[in-house]
Amino acid sequence: MTATSALDTRPDRRGSPIPTPAMIGTRFMELRRRRGLMATLVVVTVGIPTVFLVIRLLLHAFAPKSYGPAGGYNIFSGLVAGVMYVFGFIVAATLGATAGSNDLSEGMFRHLVVTGRSRLAIYLARIPAGLGIIVPLVALGFTVICAVCVFAAPTTISYQGANVPAGLSLPAFESWAGQHPDTVICDFPFRASTPPPAVPCGEGPGGRQGVKVFPVGPSGPLVPPQYTPDQLRAFAVQVATQDYPGYSAIFLAPSVSLMVRTGLWIELEAAVGFLVGLGLASLLGQRTVAVILMIVLEVVLTPIVSMAHLPHLSNLQRAVVGLATAHLEPGGLAFVFGGGGDRAANGGRVVSQLLPESRTVAVCVILAWLVGWTVLGAWRMVTRDA
Amino acid sequence: MSAEQAPGDGRWAVETHGLTKRFGENIAVNGVELLVPRGCAFGYLGPNGAGKTTLIRVLLGLTHADAGTMFLLGHPVPKRRDQALARVGAIVDEPRFHSHLTGRQNLQILAAAREPAARDRIDPSLERVGILHRADDRVSKYSMGMRQRLGVAACLLGDPQLLILDEPMNGLDPAGMHEMRDMIVSLVAEGRTVVLSSHLLDEVQRTCDAVAIVDRGNIIHQGPISELLAGAALVLEVECSDPERAKRLVAGTTLGAQVVVSPQGLELTLPGGTDRGVTAEVNRILVEAGISVYRLQPVRASLEAWFLQVTSRLGDPE
Repeated sequence: MTATSALDTRPDRRGSPIPTPAMIGTRFMELRRRRGLMATLVVVTVGIPTVFLVIRLLLHAFAPKSYGPAGGYNIFSGLVAGVMYVFGFIVAATLGATAGSNDLSEGMFRHLVVTGRSRLAIYLARIPAGLGIIVPLVALGFTVICAVCVFAAPTTISYQGANVPAGLSLPAFESWAGQHPDTVICDFPFRASTPPPAVPCGEGPGGRQGVKVFPVGPSGPLVPPQYTPDQLRAFAVQVATQDYPGYSAIFLAPSVSLMVRTGLWIELEAAVGFLVGLGLASLLGQRTVAVILMIVLEVVLTPIVSMAHLPHLSNLQRAVVGLATAHLEPGGLAFVFGGGGDRAANGGRVVSQLLPESRTVAVCVILAWLVGWTVLGAWRMVTRDA
Repeated sequence: MSAEQAPGDGRWAVETHGLTKRFGENIAVNGVELLVPRGCAFGYLGPNGAGKTTLIRVLLGLTHADAGTMFLLGHPVPKRRDQALARVGAIVDEPRFHSHLTGRQNLQILAAAREPAARDRIDPSLERVGILHRADDRVSKYSMGMRQRLGVAACLLGDPQLLILDEPMNGLDPAGMHEMRDMIVSLVAEGRTVVLSSHLLDEVQRTCDAVAIVDRGNIIHQGPISELLAGAALVLEVECSDPERAKRLVAGTTLGAQVVVSPQGLELTLPGGTDRGVTAEVNRILVEAGISVYRLQPVRASLEAWFLQVTSRLGDPE
């Protein structure tokens, strides 16, 4: 090795803010080799859903009468909105905070700066490297959930407490209702001024008596005289026709479209967590405080801010990124942060109790967070003493 | 600093003019004028807190300067920082790396930030510093000395024309120090410039061709070591039959010597630039006075002695 007399004339672009593939690759390698961090990421994103579903599979296999199928639409909805949404964000934020602070805390930042490489490029190299880890991991965990929920879905669905075959067309649903008039009349909601048939719905004291009626008339439900079986079947079909929209919104297993939209939504949440964690840790120069702040944001602050209706602070509340991503949640999933409202007060429909926010505003809030924290992190990286 | 900096003189590997760095009220680097010639080993000496590391950090763009201009390898910094640092390798303070990665993987990260050819220099660099056989061990298992060597290997990735090494002997055993010294000499022999910041004055004297002495942010002196030592005080150790009378006799002459009586005899400190013929003159004075001289020995002026003379720490309490 001898000193070159002249500078290497090959393209170098060392001052460019765009990171090279080699920089991204080595940054990816540096993060991937953190065994403890990787184990935590895998456990949370893949392990927790997998263990939960495996337990349900085993329970259903050994005691099918006591334990329902492992998969299905409801399990999918609950796991995605209740587990992956929150934990995906937290682990992504932890990865981001690590990526944003490890060079500083471990003394490598100085070595990197001395290479003459643009500090901005050093910062930006962390983004694709970190996303290259968290996005596949979240996708893997989500795939496990989708696979189990599709292939281990129940064969019937529970609609208003009654077991009903899934995926029936309107005529088939009406036909099924005509064959099960007692179930339909006793269990299904019905809104009409016509007096419902009087069908015994219970089996003695303590059981249900009468019909389930949502009265719309001024004097409430009436008990008419006895009906013939044909009249009962006709009335059951009438109820089924009215309830078909609600029934058809329930699925045995999530549709492909819903899974795709949900997957993208979960990945968006993870990406937001990573980029905000990266920017915050770069700004603070350390990981621990950044991770704590991110957990507080996601687990404490966001649910409170999303559900509270503060008259003069609503616009400030809408600026919280967790509320914005919650508003981008695909329709048909359980509401995040347990945002389901009172069914009885909403005519049997579940209504989100999140602070209202348009999708346009939600997208703008998310973009502002991503750009804002990236700019802050990059600015600190460029101006920081190494 | 002026926005438009004049191009640096290509003769100098490092050139600074009026470089200043403040931390609040404290001036860590105070109008430093430093000229490091190319192709030599240059020692940068100073007591703790003198501002050595701060100057290096400013030169490398690790922190900004408050005033002054600087050039590395003729490129103005920070305006052409990327070009300037392309052929600079540096260790600042204790070399630290990602401890969960191997030495080779750490170098891969640093090579990726340099030009593509740097990746081909990883193994030769590791071999040169003598840790190729441990290249695939995690850095957490490295000793301090091995990390120091890994730091030097990181410096070599860019095929540097200028190496700035801050206390490179730290953590090295005697054999390691010897190897490091040889390596610095060989790097200079290849035409590179090595700036060595160190407290080990003897090492600097044995390794470097020129030095700059810095104290409290100011460069007190810079130049070739031989010139520097030529101006150092001459010390004569005298063992004789009557030290007290000898002291009075020497003090009464025009030699300008400071005389101290010690258990071993007399110690005469003569001003810098004193001709070596003064040794014979002292001997003549004592013999003519009837004092028997058993030993008369000029003590070789050392960089350490010179350093202690010129830095403001002289006389500070231990």
